[in-house]
Amino acid sequence: MSRIMAHMVAFYPDRERSLAVAKGLVDGGAAYLEIQFPFSDPTADGPAIQEASQRALDAGFTVAEGFELVREIAALAGSRSGPDGAPPIFLMTYASLVYARGVDRFIADGVAAGATGFILPDLPFDHDEGAAAAARRHGAAVMPVTVTSAPASRLDALLATDPEYVYVALRRGITGSRTDLDDATLGVLDRIRSTGTKVMAGFGVSDRGQVDALDPHVHAVVVGSALVRAVAAVADEPPDAIRAAVAGRLRELTG
Amino acid sequence: MSTTIYNDYFGEFGGRYVAEVLRTPLDELEAAFKEAMADPGFHAEIDDIAATFVGRPTPMLYARNSSRELGGAQIFVKLEGLANTGAHKINNAVGQALLARRMGKTRIIAETGAGQHGVATAAVCAKLGLQCVVYMGEVDIARQRPNVFFMELFGATVAPVSSGQRTLKDAVNEALRDWAASFADTHYVIGSALGPSPYPDMVREFQSVVGRETGQQIEQYVEAEGLSVEALVACVGGGSNAIGFFAPFLNREQPRLIGVEAGGRGPEPGQHAARMKGLGRTGIVQGYKSLFLLDEDGQVQDTHSLSAGLDYPGIGPQLAALGVSGRVEFARATDAQALEALRFFARNEGVVFALESAHGAAEAIRLARELPSDRAVIVNMSGRGDKDLFITARELGGPRWKAFLQSEVDRFADSGAIGGAE
Ligand SMILES: Cc1ncc(COP(=O)(O)O)c(C=O)c1O
Repeated sequence: MSRIMAHMVAFYPDRERSLAVAKGLVDGGAAYLEIQFPFSDPTADGPAIQEASQRALDAGFTVAEGFELVREIAALAGSRSGPDGAPPIFLMTYASLVYARGVDRFIADGVAAGATGFILPDLPFDHDEGAAAAARRHGAAVMPVTVTSAPASRLDALLATDPEYVYVALRRGITGSRTDLDDATLGVLDRIRSTGTKVMAGFGVSDRGQVDALDPHVHAVVVGSALVRAVAAVADEPPDAIRAAVAGRLRELTG
Repeated sequence: MSTTIYNDYFGEFGGRYVAEVLRTPLDELEAAFKEAMADPGFHAEIDDIAATFVGRPTPMLYARNSSRELGGAQIFVKLEGLANTGAHKINNAVGQALLARRMGKTRIIAETGAGQHGVATAAVCAKLGLQCVVYMGEVDIARQRPNVFFMELFGATVAPVSSGQRTLKDAVNEALRDWAASFADTHYVIGSALGPSPYPDMVREFQSVVGRETGQQIEQYVEAEGLSVEALVACVGGGSNAIGFFAPFLNREQPRLIGVEAGGRGPEPGQHAARMKGLGRTGIVQGYKSLFLLDEDGQVQDTHSLSAGLDYPGIGPQLAALGVSGRVEFARATDAQALEALRFFARNEGVVFALESAHGAAEAIRLARELPSDRAVIVNMSGRGDKDLFITARELGGPRWKAFLQSEVDRFADSGAIGGAE
């Protein structure tokens, strides 16, 4: 079975229902959870996650309550019986939220709530305002993001920081079959993997064929918008229905 | 006297806080910008378009009647709004479009709030034969229809933005998303001295022609009258007209440089767009570190200004740093003060300030009153007020304006005109 890092937006559609989403992702076999804290100006996100972020903010998301939610999800995941134990939680958000709270405090609060690591797309690894160092101090990791179009020198500089995980954003959605993953892309994934770094890769992954094509080249496949869209389709239903729908969608992808 | 062309950071502000996908185009842009700025041929191209298309140099007006009535310092007005398309925005659009063409880009994207930057960019693209898409929030489209009309007349596509507050900042987000997928053939012409580096440096350089001309005009018209310049005053949205106007004076101690922000309806959150003097917080938003209107969690707050061009939650990083260092002072003008200043100069001088620029005018009036008559205050009229007709007339035109609009709708219906490609 393929390893999936399953993405969700905290407080989307609302607090209670986002907890149901998390339960569904755990039921569906997520290997990792990527929990996004919504930001008013998510420049790196497409329409599905933008809309989800706006609705989550309208539903009353605050950073403090976001950490509370993470704490509940971590406890929930920890109670899952199974050979792999609990899925580790990566907290994804934008620099503004991290900087406003104070980088060290944000990371410390995230770790205390149960996060294993952080994904901060607009804090480049070489100008990260001390995020990676803070994460190390608190026993967690920042997962830096790279793109397959990055020049080799940039990727080398990133790998020289010896990250435990790297998130590779595949620039255009790969569209379904093995052949769409071109050699250059696979070369980048394999190059990172050869350093012993765990590669998480995604962007536009929405079907089983894509997951299967990526799986041999990565530690985990990231699924974001596809799951957010699955939540959107049942957003106004009761929590149990959401939980079941999300679990079902994830199983379609993992097989 | 000249400032460094490429700074990246200004004190603690600035930088390039972008998702990795945007690093490649920004690195390329930085290299192309530095290379072009070192090439006299590039400057010659800009100068040619400035003279034959933009209408440079723009004049400087001695506002004698206003100065007499106020009884204090002498006010001069840099009539930047006389530039083609009605505002300083054209200087930056010309510079960036020429740079884009030099880089082999065939498609231009831009964001716009008031529509002035969009109109300027669309006009330059028409002139240079570049494809143009302008992102504009739905709220701004609704309140700035005349500028949408002009952009489309210039052949640009106006792409409505329906996310977030549906205003300027959301248009920036959408343009950044477009660029992340399109940079191979597309250049993003940002409209103010903000965003990830090299934009703040680049926009300042392309706008500094305003300050250079002002320096010459001070010698010609102000010092020739035996006056000493006390202050330069400019409105500040993102900060492009202000930083261009101030640029040649930054490394001197005199004159005072004063930026005027939108005081809106008052200092309560959501009612204004003033980031300096304690209202903004240091943050990282839309690719740069600066002072922003943020809530405690770092979420961007709503803003308000009667002038769409000042209705933005962040200030350019160089101005933020100059505010912290004290070289640039900051003031605020409310919606009502800006409107009053607009009437005052229209009646006394026969010029109509853009609502944005009228914020600067309000501060110039306040300052002139306090100063002796041998001092001069120079205000940048960054734009002319034609574009604001539907806003100013709603505020000042009374029932006759309403009757006119009504009759215009009737005429439109009677004529059966549905012209154009809506
Ligand atoms: C006439 C005019 N002045 C000023 C501004 C504010 O921008 P900036 O602060 O970048 O000069 C605008 C923006 O649309 C404008 O149209």
